[in-house]
Amino acid sequence: MATAPKAPTGNEAAEKEVLLRVEGVTKIYDGTVKAVDDVSLTVTKGEIFGLLGGSGCGKSTLLRMLAGFEAPTKGKIYLAGQDITNLPAYQRPINMMFQSYALFPHLSVWENIAFGLKRDDMPKEQITERVEKMLGLVQLSKFAQRKPHQLSGGQQQRVALARSLAKRPQLLLLDEPLGALDKKLRETTQLELVNIIEQVGVTCVLVTHDQEEAMTMASRIAVMSEGYFLQVGEPDTVYEMPNSRKVADFIGNVNMFEGVIEEDEPDHVTVRCAECVHYVGHGISGHSGMQVGVALRPEKVMLSKDKPKGEYNWTEGEVTEIVYFGAHTTYHLKLASGMTLKAQEINNTRDLSCGLTWGDKAYAHWNNEAMVVLTQ
Amino acid sequence: MSQGVNKYFGRAWMGAVYAFLYLPIVTLVIFSFNDSRLVTVWSHASFRWYHALVKDADLIAAVWLSLKIAFLSALMSVFFGTFVAFALNRYKRFAGRTLLSSMANMPLVMPEVIVGLALLLMLVSVQHWLGFPQRGLFTILLGHALLGTAYAAVVVTSRLKEMDMRLDEAAMDLGSKPWQVFTLVTFPLLVPALVSAFLLTFTLSFDDVVLSAFLSGPGYNTMPMVIFSRARLGLNPTINAVATVTIVVVTIAVIASSFYTSHVERKRKRETALAYSDANK
Amino acid sequence: MSKSKNATLNFFSGRKLIIGVPYVWFILLAAIPLLIVLKISLSTMEMASVSNMIDWSNGWPKVTLNFESYQFILKDALYIKTYLSSIKYALITTVICLAIGYPFAYFMARAPKHIQPTLLMLIMLPFWTSFLLRIYAWKTLLVNNGIINNALISLGVISEPIQMMNTPFSLVIGMVYSYLPFMILPLYANLSKLDIRYLEAAADLGTSPLKTFWLITVPLSKAGIIAGSMLVFIPAIGEYVIPELLGGPNTLMIGRVLWDEFFSNNDWPMASAVAVVMILLILVPMAVLNKYQSDQASGKAGA
Repeated sequence: MATAPKAPTGNEAAEKEVLLRVEGVTKIYDGTVKAVDDVSLTVTKGEIFGLLGGSGCGKSTLLRMLAGFEAPTKGKIYLAGQDITNLPAYQRPINMMFQSYALFPHLSVWENIAFGLKRDDMPKEQITERVEKMLGLVQLSKFAQRKPHQLSGGQQQRVALARSLAKRPQLLLLDEPLGALDKKLRETTQLELVNIIEQVGVTCVLVTHDQEEAMTMASRIAVMSEGYFLQVGEPDTVYEMPNSRKVADFIGNVNMFEGVIEEDEPDHVTVRCAECVHYVGHGISGHSGMQVGVALRPEKVMLSKDKPKGEYNWTEGEVTEIVYFGAHTTYHLKLASGMTLKAQEINNTRDLSCGLTWGDKAYAHWNNEAMVVLTQ
Repeated sequence: MSQGVNKYFGRAWMGAVYAFLYLPIVTLVIFSFNDSRLVTVWSHASFRWYHALVKDADLIAAVWLSLKIAFLSALMSVFFGTFVAFALNRYKRFAGRTLLSSMANMPLVMPEVIVGLALLLMLVSVQHWLGFPQRGLFTILLGHALLGTAYAAVVVTSRLKEMDMRLDEAAMDLGSKPWQVFTLVTFPLLVPALVSAFLLTFTLSFDDVVLSAFLSGPGYNTMPMVIFSRARLGLNPTINAVATVTIVVVTIAVIASSFYTSHVERKRKRETALAYSDANK
Repeated sequence: MSKSKNATLNFFSGRKLIIGVPYVWFILLAAIPLLIVLKISLSTMEMASVSNMIDWSNGWPKVTLNFESYQFILKDALYIKTYLSSIKYALITTVICLAIGYPFAYFMARAPKHIQPTLLMLIMLPFWTSFLLRIYAWKTLLVNNGIINNALISLGVISEPIQMMNTPFSLVIGMVYSYLPFMILPLYANLSKLDIRYLEAAADLGTSPLKTFWLITVPLSKAGIIAGSMLVFIPAIGEYVIPELLGGPNTLMIGRVLWDEFFSNNDWPMASAVAVVMILLILVPMAVLNKYQSDQASGKAGA
C-alpha cells in the first residue's frame, strides 16, 4: 500500500504502558558525521524491540546512548517518564548484555554476577540469594566459582545474561546477542534467550544486523539505515508490507518490478510492467498513470512448465540458475525484459519438485495478494 | 631442502649472537674468583675479592644508596608513568596532546648527557631562587624518576592498549562510578604491567651512571658512580666480585619470573581447553 | 552545551587531573630544563643564572644574547670534527646492529612458538644486568694484557698483544654490544606479528624464498627497522660511558666533549651550546621515529 512519505516512529502503542521514549535524538560526531538522525520511538513495558540494520546504520550508537555511554547531540530520552538524557551510565536502571560479553576476567562467575549488586550496597544475604537465583535461571549453578576463561562461549554468554539481569533493570539492552555463536548454537540459544526474558518479564531493546535474529526474537522491529528509521512495525508487517523499496530489499529477498498504474479502482489495481501485468487485489492510494514499484517475494512465486491462464500475474523466462539450499531451492528465471526473477520452492518431496533444469523454459505465476505496491 | 639450510644457519647465527652477548658476563664471573690482583691473569681460585668486597665500606654504602634511590625512583616512575599512559591512551583529544607525547618520548631517546645537563641547570636555577634543593639524593631521584616515567609509560601503555574498553563500560553499566571502575576493574588487570614497569625502572635507576653523576652532590655516590670512577683508572677485581653478585641476583630473579609467567600461561591454556572440551561433550 | 561536545561521557571525571599531573611533571622536568639549556648556551659563565639575561635597568627588557659559545663551536674545527665523528660512529653502530640483529630477530620469530619466550628471556637477561659492568667486562677482555690477548698468546697464535683497547674497534664493539637488544626487540616485535600467510601466498604465486624475503618480509618489517634503527642511532650519538671506558683519545665523541666542558672546564655555557647543537642534529631522526611510532599506533599495515 502506497502511503505519503512520513518519518516512521514507534509511537503506535499508546494504550499500553510506555517505558522508554526517545524523542528526536540525533548524534553528530566531529561536527559533520551524523550517526543518528532525528530518531523517535516508544517501547512499551514487556516488549522486545529490535533495531535492525547493517553496519554503520547507527543502531549501535543509538543503543549506546540508551545505555549512557554516549550523550545525544540533540533530543531527549525518557525512561518511565523520567528524563535520563544526560544521566551517566552508572545511574541508569538500564543494563546491557555486551556482544563480546565483557566478563571481568579476574573475577569468578559468581563475582561477575554480584558485581552490580555490590555497587547498590545490597545486604550480603540478599546478594547471595539473588546471585543464586540468577545462576539457576541460566543453569550455571555448578560453575559459580569458575573464571570466564574456564567457560565455553555459550556458557560465557549465559553469565553475561545473568549479570545483566541481576539488578532487575527496567530496560535490558542486547548488543548482537547471537553474533558470536555458530549457527546450531544460535537456534537453541535464541529460544532460550527469549524464554528467559519473557520469564523475567523485562523490557528489551535488541540490536542486530541479522534479520532472522530480529524477526524471531523481537515483538516489534525498526529497520534502520544511515541514522534513521526506514520502517517500524511488527516483524510480519515489515516483511510482508514494506513501506519502501529500501526496506523491501533489506529484509529477505525480493523481486522488484517497475511499472505504471493502469486501472485504479477501490478494490483492485493493475500495474503494467515490462515483464507482466500485475493485478493487485486491494485498493491503494495512488492514481492511474503513476510510476510505482511492485515488490514480490520469491517464496510467493510458483513455477510451472505449462502456461498459466489469464492475462495477469504471470510471466515466462528461462531457468539460468538453480541454487540448492537443502530445505528449499531458489530458481533464477531470466525474463525477456532482462530482469532476473527469483522463485523459491520448498523441497517437500525428495526430488526436484518442479522437474526443471538449466535452460528450461518455465512460467512463473503468483496470486493477487502476493505483492506490495511501493511508491518510495 | 633450503628449509634445512635455513634452520642450521639460523641456529648458528643465534648461537653466535648469544655467545657474543654472554662472553663478557661469563668472563666477569669466572675472573671474580681469580686470586691474582691482575684481573686478567689467572693464578688460582679464591674468594679473596668477595671478602674484600664485604670490607669495602665505600662500595657497600654506594650500593645501599643505589638501592634506596632505585626503589623510590621506581615508585615515582610507575606512578607518573601510569598517569601518562592513561592521559595519552584514554583521551584522544586535548589541547597540547602532541606536546605531552613528545615530552614523554624525549627521555627515551635523548642522550643522557643532555638530560643530565638540562636537569642540573634547572635545579641550580631553582636553588638560586628558592634556596633548595641541595644536590644529593633528592636531585638524583628526580632525574631517575624522569627517565623512569618515560619507560613506565611505554610498559603501561602497551597493556592498556590490550585491555578491552568494554570492561570499563560493563562496570559503569552495572553501577560503578568512574573511580570505582578504576579500582575494581582497570587496576587489578593492570597489576602485571605495573610490576613489570617497577622492575624495569628499578633496574634503570640502579644502573644509571650519567644522570647520577650530573645530579649528585658531595657525599652521595651511587654504586655505578663508584664503579665508573674505579673502572676509569683501570681494572679492579672487586668490581668483578660485585658484578658477579649482581649477575647472580638478576639471573635468579629473571629466571624465576620467567618460570612463573609461563606456568600461569600454561595453566590458563589448560583451563580454557578443558572448558571447551567440557562444553562439547 | 559542553556535554554535547563530548564524543563520550567522561569515563574518569578526573580528566583534568589525569592529564594535568603528567603535564606538570614533564613541563617541570623536561620542557623547562631544555629551555634553560638554551638560555645558558646564549650566555657567558659570569651571567649564568636565569635572571641575568634580561636587563631591566632601563625599565625596558633588554635581552643580551651571547653567541660566544656557538661561534667557538663553529670556528673550532675540532668541534665540527667531533660532531661528524659521533654521527659516524652512531651510524656504524646502527648498521652493524641491524646486520646482526635483523637475522637474529628473524630466526627468533620463526623459531617454534614454545621456545620463543625463552629465547626472548635470554636476550633480555644481559639487558637487566648492569650495563656499566658489562662494558667494564669488555675492558678486561680487550686490554693489552686482557683475557683475549692472554688467551691468544698462550695458544701461540700471536706473540705480541694486539692493541684492541682505546681504538675505534673497541668503541664500536662496546656500542654494538650495548645497543643490540634495542635493535632486536622492535624487530622481533614486528617480525613475530608478520602473518605467515603472506609468505605462503608469495610461495603459491611462484616466488623463491630469497625473493620472498626481499620483496615481502623486509618491506613489511620496515616499521621495526626504522624503530630499531632510531632507538640505536639517536642515543648513540651522545653516548658518554662507552667512549670514556673503551674509546680512548682517538675516538672523538660529542658526549665526552659535553662532559668535559661541564666537569673539567666548568664551562656551563659551552656545555649547553654543545647540547643545543646536538639536539638540532637529532631533531630530524627523532621526528622520523615519532612519525613511525604514530603510524604504527594508528594501525597502518606494513607502514
